[in-house]
Amino acid sequence: MLEMIDICKVYRTDLVQTHALRDFSLSVQEGEFVTITGPSGCGKTTFLNIAGLLETYTSGSYQLDGVEVSQLNDFKRARLRNEKIGFIFQSFNLMPDLNLFDNVDVPLRYRGLKASERKPLIEKALESVGLAGRMKHLPSQLSGGQQQRVAIARALVGSPRFLLADEPTGNLDSNTARGVMELLQEINELGTTIVMVTHDQELARESRRNIHILDGQIHEENGRGEMSSSASAVA
Amino acid sequence: MEIGPIFRALLRNKLGALLIALQIAFTMTVIINAVFIINERNRLMARPSGLDESNLFHITVIGFGDDYNEEIVAADDLAMLRQTPGIVDATVINAIPVSGGGSSTGVRLINDETSPSTGTAIYRLDEHGLNTLNLDLIAGENFTATDMRLRYESGPTEADKAVVTRALVESLFDGMAPADVLGEVMYMPGGDVVQIVGVVDRLQAPWPTSQLVERSMLVPENYIDSFSRYMIRTEPGQRDRMMAEVERMLVERGQDRVVRDMEAMEVTRANTYRVDSALTTILRVVVATLIVINCMGIVGLAVFSINRRKKQIGTRRALGATRPEILRYFLLENLFITIAGVALGAVLTIALSIVLTTNFNMPTMAWYYTPLGALLLILVGQLSALGPSARAAGTEPAIATRSV
Amino acid sequence: MFFYYLRLAALSYRRNPILSSLMVLAVAVGIAAYMIVFTLNYTMGGDPIPHKSSQLFAVQLDNWDPNTDSDPPQQLTYTDAMALQQAGRAWRQTASSKFSGIVEPDNPELRPFMFIGRGAYADFFPMFDVPFQYGSGWSADADANLEQVTVLSRDLNERLFGGANSVGETITMDGTQWQVIGVLDRWDPVPKFYDVNNGPFDSGEELYIPWGHVVARELPRSGNTNCWTAIGGSGFQAFLNSECVWIQYWVELRDANEEAEYLDFINGYVQEQKTLGRFGRPLNNALYDVNEWLLKEEVLPDETSILSMLAAMLLAVCLLNTIGLLLAKFLGKSAEIGARQALGAHKGSLFIQHMIEAGFIGLLGGLLGLLLAHYGLEGVKILLGNELMMTDWIQLNVPIVITTIALAIVSTVIAGLYPIWRACNINPAIHLKTQ
Repeated sequence: MLEMIDICKVYRTDLVQTHALRDFSLSVQEGEFVTITGPSGCGKTTFLNIAGLLETYTSGSYQLDGVEVSQLNDFKRARLRNEKIGFIFQSFNLMPDLNLFDNVDVPLRYRGLKASERKPLIEKALESVGLAGRMKHLPSQLSGGQQQRVAIARALVGSPRFLLADEPTGNLDSNTARGVMELLQEINELGTTIVMVTHDQELARESRRNIHILDGQIHEENGRGEMSSSASAVA
Repeated sequence: MEIGPIFRALLRNKLGALLIALQIAFTMTVIINAVFIINERNRLMARPSGLDESNLFHITVIGFGDDYNEEIVAADDLAMLRQTPGIVDATVINAIPVSGGGSSTGVRLINDETSPSTGTAIYRLDEHGLNTLNLDLIAGENFTATDMRLRYESGPTEADKAVVTRALVESLFDGMAPADVLGEVMYMPGGDVVQIVGVVDRLQAPWPTSQLVERSMLVPENYIDSFSRYMIRTEPGQRDRMMAEVERMLVERGQDRVVRDMEAMEVTRANTYRVDSALTTILRVVVATLIVINCMGIVGLAVFSINRRKKQIGTRRALGATRPEILRYFLLENLFITIAGVALGAVLTIALSIVLTTNFNMPTMAWYYTPLGALLLILVGQLSALGPSARAAGTEPAIATRSV
Repeated sequence: MFFYYLRLAALSYRRNPILSSLMVLAVAVGIAAYMIVFTLNYTMGGDPIPHKSSQLFAVQLDNWDPNTDSDPPQQLTYTDAMALQQAGRAWRQTASSKFSGIVEPDNPELRPFMFIGRGAYADFFPMFDVPFQYGSGWSADADANLEQVTVLSRDLNERLFGGANSVGETITMDGTQWQVIGVLDRWDPVPKFYDVNNGPFDSGEELYIPWGHVVARELPRSGNTNCWTAIGGSGFQAFLNSECVWIQYWVELRDANEEAEYLDFINGYVQEQKTLGRFGRPLNNALYDVNEWLLKEEVLPDETSILSMLAAMLLAVCLLNTIGLLLAKFLGKSAEIGARQALGAHKGSLFIQHMIEAGFIGLLGGLLGLLLAHYGLEGVKILLGNELMMTDWIQLNVPIVITTIALAIVSTVIAGLYPIWRACNINPAIHLKTQ
């Protein structure tokens, strides 16, 4: 699903070069649920941005679903993000002036679907996160947990095979966070590959595979490897 | 002081600062030139005509038919007008000062048609003219009834006496006092001779924008062409009442005439300067609009840049900056931007002023316009920035520790 | 997608109503100021007779004072106008001049009144495409035989005959009877190109008669008369023989060939006159077509040019303002733009989205600007006053309305280019993380 080999990312300013990622290699199989941990500034967000095609990398090779992405232009990368990747952010990043229906509609618009095709997909996605009854509400009328559910619905509406989550529970209280985690686990069990960045050691320990990054390199990896194959079997 | 850091921070947000500076520069250019034009036009409009304008009005009588005798009609009309209570005096006159329409001629001190002549307006009126217009006779004397000539054809003049304005004396007789030119003669085109019998302090020509605006000569003469224009001076405060009455009286005096074009001198003046006063009004609106737009722009961008730096401000507060220090920071920032804009604005202002002077026959702008305008814009800038800066100064230090 | 983006633009307006309204206001004020001045220029400086302005020529003969270097006169002497008219060398030609007269209505309830009329030759009406409501102009025979025929303006016909078809009726003017043969429809060319030296923005004359009557009846002249030397002798004939100019002279020439031939003709005429001791200056005759004439005579007042410059700068200030506000607005949406990129928006679609948002602001600004321009022009009309100059023609018309809206949208989109470019090129990664 995701294959990174020797990825380097260097930020240059006039005075200094910072190696955000150094010879970073990682392979994620279809259906896995991988958590990424590490201290602030270790490079985990850089990894996520590169994985999500939001940033380019300096050297190395990255194949997403068998496609080498380094040569793709902005238009093709946008296409890939739209079709294959769902994003979930710590601060939700819902469009404040769009209601829930329109928020979930955004990726489908970019996919160019007809209104008659979009409507059932949106309703289904909102139903799956338990917010079907609030389609006309604005994000500001919802609680944090509900907003994150909308964001998840938005990430899932286009049936991506790959979900990238950046501290999805970071802005939520522990009860709500647990609900969101359960939702993500259900999604994973239905076959969507998930890579989640978190600094919550509890969550990391619970996941099947945890990668700890330090100074732009994979420091250690814990996981119950056999689960990945069984996950694929479930899908 | 923190000038260095403010300046460096500004350089990092070049565009916002540049936009404001450009706005200020253009605003300054327009405002200063507009105010100059307004002052210039106001100065033109404020020049005295030499007349007692608030108590004067004029009216035209046009006769028709073979039986119409203008000579008799005009004499009777004027006699009646002068007897009417409320009227101080009345005269025939060929042209209305300030009105924009009249006659001019060229006069010379030597009888040689090829030598350059001095242009002057020529007013044909009777011996009541000086009193009616309420001119200030500074030398010599008025005409008498025996000086009056009747003229039946166009041509410079039939009269042989003239009263001239001080400005005409100055143009014709270099450095001579008004009293010394009495008795001197002027040659009209064609060689007729006119003797100067009096000098009035001031009487404008009918064309306010003309070079010869202060040069006028008055001759005792009535052109018999069935058009009679009467200028009438009333007792103070009686003008409007007398206008109605005079029109009624003249209309009643006969079916063989048309009475029209009655107008108070104040209205004549307003009509003549209509475009000038329209221009000054439009320019005032432009100036006010620009100042408002400019304030809007400064406030808008200040609010934006302060919101963006909210966390930074909170941090500064947390690090011990007092409210006045934050306020001072943003006011100084605005001051730097404004000064840059005003510097560019000064160059543009002078450039536009040169363009206006060379293309539109306008005088050169006095030096103090630019610095005064610059000062005004700096003030406007500081006042506009005061609100947003005060809000910035009110930022709680706690914001620094909040992540969202 | 267009309507989707339009809806996003409207929603975005609602989110920042104050900021957005400030932008609309800035655009509206700038556009209104510019369009008010544009409208004044457009009408005052426009081509009053576009379909044949290049075929109508004012004739300039320089008979002026050889001792000065002042500009050549704008009008012709009686001698020269009659010589050109009698030669008849142009396709069409007309001397014309303003006079004043008294009409004595048959209706005893109406008092006699004064009017401003124009003496002209038969060609005047077809040359200048003068529209008729009833009847027509007179024939060349009427000019030659000094027939007492007249053409009334629409307003005068309204006053004398209540607007009815008065062709065939008679009126009493200058103590004698005239037969009405035509009534004009509304005809107010702006500027009044055929007589710019007597008020280029005045309304037209009220009554037209064959030009010969102006001289034969010694009608009072109403326009400017300029003389550079004393009239030799006394009496009306001496005036006619003088070097005083008071007659407007126009010819219609259908092509460059005719124009060249006519110029040769007037040069030949002046050479001939030089042998008689007239035309002391070097040869300086010219033909000016309508637009050249308006330009040469500086018909457009200085005030409009000054205002044009100031209005352009005011528009610039407003647009700079808009750039700043758009920048503030779009950069304030960084997180949203980042999220859209994450959800599959490529830069092109973001660019279009924000172009439409800027265009939407421009459209609103244009509409508001139109309203402001309308009231502004009404204000200008009040300031100028109708008794001084005819101001009915100062108004917004369809082309100006379209130009206004288009200018508003285009200039706002242009003002938005940099903010849009900045907004589309933000690094989404940064703005997704921190908010």
